[in-house]
Amino acid sequence: MMKPAYILSASAISPQHTFERGQLLQPIMSSNNGRLYVVDADYRQYINPVAIRRMSKVIKMGISTAMNALQQAGIACPDAIITGTGMGSMLDMERFLKDMIQLEEEALNPTFFIQSTYNSINGWIALQTKCNGYNQTFVHRGHSLELSLLDAQLLLTEAETTQTVLAGCFDEMTEEYFFIKNKIGYWKHDIPDSRNLLQHSDTPGTIGGEGAAFFTLTNQPAGALCSIQEIKLYQDAETSEVQTGMLQLLANHGLQPADIDLLLCGMNGDARQQPLYQMAMDVLPSSAVGAFKQLTGEYATASGFALWLAAEVFRTQQVPAPVLYKGTAPARVRHILLVNHYITGNASLVLLRGNQQP
Amino acid sequence: MEDLKVTLKQQIIEALNLQGMTPADIDDNAPLFGDGLGLDSIDSLEMMVLLERNYGIKIEDAREGRKVLESVQSMAEYIQQHRKI
Repeated sequence: MMKPAYILSASAISPQHTFERGQLLQPIMSSNNGRLYVVDADYRQYINPVAIRRMSKVIKMGISTAMNALQQAGIACPDAIITGTGMGSMLDMERFLKDMIQLEEEALNPTFFIQSTYNSINGWIALQTKCNGYNQTFVHRGHSLELSLLDAQLLLTEAETTQTVLAGCFDEMTEEYFFIKNKIGYWKHDIPDSRNLLQHSDTPGTIGGEGAAFFTLTNQPAGALCSIQEIKLYQDAETSEVQTGMLQLLANHGLQPADIDLLLCGMNGDARQQPLYQMAMDVLPSSAVGAFKQLTGEYATASGFALWLAAEVFRTQQVPAPVLYKGTAPARVRHILLVNHYITGNASLVLLRGNQQP
Repeated sequence: MEDLKVTLKQQIIEALNLQGMTPADIDDNAPLFGDGLGLDSIDSLEMMVLLERNYGIKIEDAREGRKVLESVQSMAEYIQQHRKI
């Protein structure tokens, strides 16, 4: 069994006010056009002004959250950089492809091509931190972040000395992406207020979103906010298979269903995905239930927001009211189970434990 | 020639996204790389693309390219002699 991966710090840029430390998730941001865009940070605080001019938004989001997470942990250079992204830098890829068509594959801008590659953010972070260590980007749709966390946990389990890993995720929403996915029924129409998304869970579709989240992980508990105990991944699985996995996960760590103080679910208002979350709530009937995609929209690495939120809940021992979906906020949060499902059939379970155990 | 230099500066600012700069901020003879505008190797590729797209000029020889891209003045002179568009 793998050792826990301890989260020293967490940083997120999302459609909510998550980057600057203030009252958790206040004020709540919403939209009425089927998608949520991030609240931009002051990227110039984290990125060289000469370099920033050729960066698209997702690259600025990724680097800024990465550098912020490292700063919070007091780490200048991690031992490894591991990220996950569903789509990478979509905007740069769209620009490059449009240029290819318009200019008949002649005189193409190198910048858009270089930055359209999935691992360009990792490269920028490595350059900025002067990190020559292990550097990996996972691109596996709704499992992208989870695989980067799993890889980090493997690395930290095998390490014989104290190691730190910078792990994170990033995805952006573009007009083109929204338009194309609309054609295959990804989005709901007529949601006048994104905050009420989950009240429309009887029809297919969701709302689009974007965001970046980074975490400094280590193999030592000192100073950690919480730890990742175990990650389980499922592809195109039956709900019953995930249910068995949930019970196994609890058993692996000597936990009863009532020990999970908060079940944090990726419910996105899509009726097709509701059975999985209903099953999770049935398995943990006494746990408070939180939901977050009404705050972020859906994207391949939205679970990064959930992990950031869980770290904040452990830190503050408070479940923000806009997140609470069912039950009452627990007085003390020791265990959180993240359950997420992405439209491409990727389901994941992540068991987290607070670092202040009784 | 003066009009060409102003146009060229505007094109450089747009192509390289030199935020907050105007053509008046770029000296005709100041080096574009290193101590001048502080551009880098990716910018040089962007400017080769700019010459090809806007003036039909394709520079195949790297040494020639280095001379052409020394300053706005050298670029404008080269464009005047070799432009196809």
